[in-house]
Amino acid sequence: MRALPGRESRQPPGDQPVGREGAAADQRRRILEATAELISSQGYSETTMEEIVRRAKVGYATFYKHYPDREAAFLALLDAAIAHTTERVEGAYRREEGPWPDRMGAALGALFADVAAHPAAARCVLVEAVAAGAEAAAKHEAALKRLAKLMAPGRELNPRSDKLPESLEETLCGGVVWVLGQRLMAGEADKIRALLPETLEFLLRPYVGEQEAAREAGEAAEAISAA
Amino acid sequence: MPAEELGPLPAGRHGYSREQVAHHQRERLIAGLAEAVAEKGYAAVTLSDIVRHAKVSRRVFYANFESKEQCFLAAFDVVVDHLRELIAEAAASESEWPQQAIAALRAVLAFLAEEPNLARLCLLESRIAGPVVIARFNEAVSEAAPALAKGRAERPEGERLPDSTEDSTLGSLISLAQREVAAGEAERLGALLPDFAELLLLPYLGPADAARLAR
Repeated sequence: MRALPGRESRQPPGDQPVGREGAAADQRRRILEATAELISSQGYSETTMEEIVRRAKVGYATFYKHYPDREAAFLALLDAAIAHTTERVEGAYRREEGPWPDRMGAALGALFADVAAHPAAARCVLVEAVAAGAEAAAKHEAALKRLAKLMAPGRELNPRSDKLPESLEETLCGGVVWVLGQRLMAGEADKIRALLPETLEFLLRPYVGEQEAAREAGEAAEAISAA
Repeated sequence: MPAEELGPLPAGRHGYSREQVAHHQRERLIAGLAEAVAEKGYAAVTLSDIVRHAKVSRRVFYANFESKEQCFLAAFDVVVDHLRELIAEAAASESEWPQQAIAALRAVLAFLAEEPNLARLCLLESRIAGPVVIARFNEAVSEAAPALAKGRAERPEGERLPDSTEDSTLGSLISLAQREVAAGEAERLGALLPDFAELLLLPYLGPADAARLAR
């Protein structure tokens, strides 16, 4: 995020958005960024509208022009963050042409990189949304289900696939969300990348067995240390 | 323990010591907070809601707690202490690790299914109730990790499981429970025992044995 000027100036100088549409988009961006930063650092329940407008450097009138209330801004932030991340994760999965474990490795790598790059928004999606009302929880749930969907082909690799619990994919993805959420809450976004190999192993193990999962994790670890 | 069940505190000369009254008041406040949180969510709960449900005065609230967060923390601790006892009791009823783990899971899931409001308080509301509560939640979860890690002794492959196995396994179970509670389906948790048990045993026993013991 670019540094914003002091509060006396409500419109950042330079790089001035052109036209009314550009200005409105810039206002929305500032409001959502402020919402993400405040909620991720002090929690949804503790964040007030006053803090959001002050940090976004917009007036109340501007805020209300875009969102009816704090919850609407939070929900818009969740939508934007989820769209951004799923596009990257699903894109990485599609582009990888190898067997399914490699595709999952690519998808998980994209997820971890995106979360590490946008820790405030990620914390809102992965942690705060679960307990911030029914609509927010539903968005979290829908995002998790999209991730879980990528795992369905793994069942074909398991000889007893029809006997696996129906909730397996979503539950494993829940474990990934937990691991990421714990690091974000500890303020350790920088440690997320290092957790990729073990988390990949955790995800793959029920489908491809322990040895194969460990081998894939080893490859992911090599790729990280080479990068 | 809804506040109504505790009944109003007897007025005037009731023969209770000052300590007993203070203890009751604290319990009433904790129960009042749990009810208020169940009604409108932690974020929206005010001090007035808590004292109204607890049927005590604001002065009594401040004699016991400094803030809404501190009262929440006390309620959270009560639930976690109870779960801790349930787990210890269930594990002591079995001699082998896999059965101990299943018995502990069964006890926890049965409690959460019977007490959906408390399930919501400790699994969901705690995640947004501020950094102190989050830290306490994480402590409670990491307490469970060593008991889970005993499963590593169940088979030789267990020795080379990644260090984060307990963390990711517990996380996946917690997230499964959180999502059921968030969907208003806490009552279903008891019936989901086989899924929970299979997922818990899987890293330690392998898929075939995990499924056989869990189902």
